[in-house]
Amino acid sequence: MTRARYSNIFYGYLFLLPYLVLFCAFILLPLIYGLGLSLFQWEVLSNAPPRFIGLGNYREALGETYFWMALGATLRFVAMIVPSVVCGALLIALALNALPEKSGGFFKAAIFAPTIISISVAGILWRWFFSAEFGLFNAWLAPLGVKVPWITENRWAMKSVVLMTVWWTLGGPMVVLLAGLKQIPEQYYEAASIDGAGAIRRFFHITLPLLKPVLLFVIVMNIIGSFQVFGQTFMITRGGPELSTRVLVQYIYETAFASYRLGYGSAMSWLLFIVIAVFSILQFRLVRERE
Amino acid sequence: MFCIRKLTTFISLILLILFISLLANCGKSTGIKPSRKVVIRFWNGFTGPDGRTILRLVKRFNRENPDVQVLMQRMDWGVYYNKLFVAGLGGRAPEVFIVHASSMERFIQAQVARPVDDLVRGANGIQESDFAENIWQAVEKDGRHYALPLDVHPIGMYYNKKLFREAGIVDEKGNPKPPTNREEFLDALTKITKDIDGDGKNDQWGYVFTWYRTNMYTFLLQWGGRIFTPDYQKCVLDSAENVEAVRFFTDLIHKKKVIPPPENFDSWIGFRQGKVGIAFEGIYMLEDLKRQKDLDYGAAPLPLLGKVPAAWADSHTICFKKDLSGEHLDAAWRFAKYLSDNSLDWADGGQIPARKSLMESERFKGMTAQWEFAKMIPYIRYIPRVPFALEFLGEFDTAAERGLRGNVSAETALSEAAANVNKIIKRQNEEQKRSKP
Repeated sequence: MTRARYSNIFYGYLFLLPYLVLFCAFILLPLIYGLGLSLFQWEVLSNAPPRFIGLGNYREALGETYFWMALGATLRFVAMIVPSVVCGALLIALALNALPEKSGGFFKAAIFAPTIISISVAGILWRWFFSAEFGLFNAWLAPLGVKVPWITENRWAMKSVVLMTVWWTLGGPMVVLLAGLKQIPEQYYEAASIDGAGAIRRFFHITLPLLKPVLLFVIVMNIIGSFQVFGQTFMITRGGPELSTRVLVQYIYETAFASYRLGYGSAMSWLLFIVIAVFSILQFRLVRERE
Repeated sequence: MFCIRKLTTFISLILLILFISLLANCGKSTGIKPSRKVVIRFWNGFTGPDGRTILRLVKRFNRENPDVQVLMQRMDWGVYYNKLFVAGLGGRAPEVFIVHASSMERFIQAQVARPVDDLVRGANGIQESDFAENIWQAVEKDGRHYALPLDVHPIGMYYNKKLFREAGIVDEKGNPKPPTNREEFLDALTKITKDIDGDGKNDQWGYVFTWYRTNMYTFLLQWGGRIFTPDYQKCVLDSAENVEAVRFFTDLIHKKKVIPPPENFDSWIGFRQGKVGIAFEGIYMLEDLKRQKDLDYGAAPLPLLGKVPAAWADSHTICFKKDLSGEHLDAAWRFAKYLSDNSLDWADGGQIPARKSLMESERFKGMTAQWEFAKMIPYIRYIPRVPFALEFLGEFDTAAERGLRGNVSAETALSEAAANVNKIIKRQNEEQKRSKP
């Protein structure tokens, strides 16, 4: 019996091994290496050997305008994208759930399709859509006499990126929520109808409570993912106008791979990690209390 | 029971072996058979139409030189520079690689590239006097030249002939007449800019800003401005001439409204759509226009808008790995010289060769736009060659953008950028001091 158990454990780890090796080599080790790096002043361009400066990089980041601008842009993005995607996905999932299986399939595929497109392609496409003078959206709006400065005005640019991101990422959460909706037993609704509950009451008293675990999962994953936004802003606005959409990951990328300030870049990555960790812990606390 | 156990053991062993052999295989390069040929790896960032041109040249070279095998690898410029720099630091740079003259400094400083003076002056060399002086100077440091310039690509004036004719900007023979100075430029702006669809807003423009960097850099220099002090120890981006140049354009954009709010690269689409009279863009955009059959465009040198003629330019240059020797060095140089000797084929796709003898050839005179843009070579200006070029350009781009958009004054935009660049200089100097014990 014990032998069998040991061999079970052995095979468990054996099958985990390929992923474990990759995880250690490409995620865990770089992570630890980066933590060490963040304590050094290391400028590849200067030929000078790395120098230990303790928390100097962290101090520099916290005192730098660009860092706070980038963090602010990231927070603005998260604050706008998470409610938009979650509400949008929920509404569409509800609508699709109400449709018969056959016609629902087409819409499901259509809404999921953008998720498959690579960000470089989607980004280039939407940059053309958004172009103020010569773009597609403004060509459509021209008959109405409206000209939206999609990505040329600071107050519009981030909203446009959010709009594009909703289109690009809505499919994933929608599929998860739809699966969640399908699991809610039909009897509850029937019983509620017989008791005279309308559609709105049914939604708030049956759908929402039963969907909560799925919904919370979608929200948490969305927030974590949104903090790491990079591709959309990099492709569409390049961080502009006037750096108003330069998010933290882009700034880290530029610091580490354009300025070759590896220590400073690592320090900012760890600061971002701390921000995400704090948010995640708060959310998990919240979930556990509710449950 | 026993049987199943045995089977699972067997399967997992096979999986393990497969996995290990997969890992072991990662290190090896596959597909290249060993031969007695000298293999030259050649890296560059030519991923556009220029990539096809260079591939043709590489193939031709391989055919004509059976003892050498050039293996070319192309990557997007951004990715390319990262990869090349890291490979260079680790001593694994390719034998031959392309670097822009403006990015050269860090490759010299990191000792990735090798001086070429001995090769150029050697038996199979090239006359130094064949290079235009400022192009040859762009690859020089402390008396040594670190690359073989392949081409030079300045920005110049593309203009829409149809819009010029419609606006009546023509010479005696009725041919469109591109502007050559500030008055003619402003005249073209006011005549071409107008509201076509009658909604009260202009939708046809005399000129648009395309790439802020090349356009603004040109204008600052035309106004007589400087970016750095001659010793590169101080950034003077906020000098009076520079502020005046930025103001000149913000006035045209925001007060006179004859230039649309800048949109960087995307405005180039407007020129291709025939809604824009003039754009100052690189000779490398020519390929784009050639494919646009319905666009009647012309090419001319930039007009003199400020006091001093100037035009932004850069060069693709051919560099060699630091520690090349023997047959590899010989093969690498033969390949580089072949590219240089045949750079008219390269120029055909929208470049200007770096060598005077080729620029004076009949074939080059037949390349209309290239020939027009080449007239600016005496006064082309490269981006200041500092080791922190990428950081500097980030600040420069931001300053140009903020200045032109007019949310802050030209002084603020330029002086904040100058202060940031000076901080970078200070940091670099401190690090530099530490590296020299």
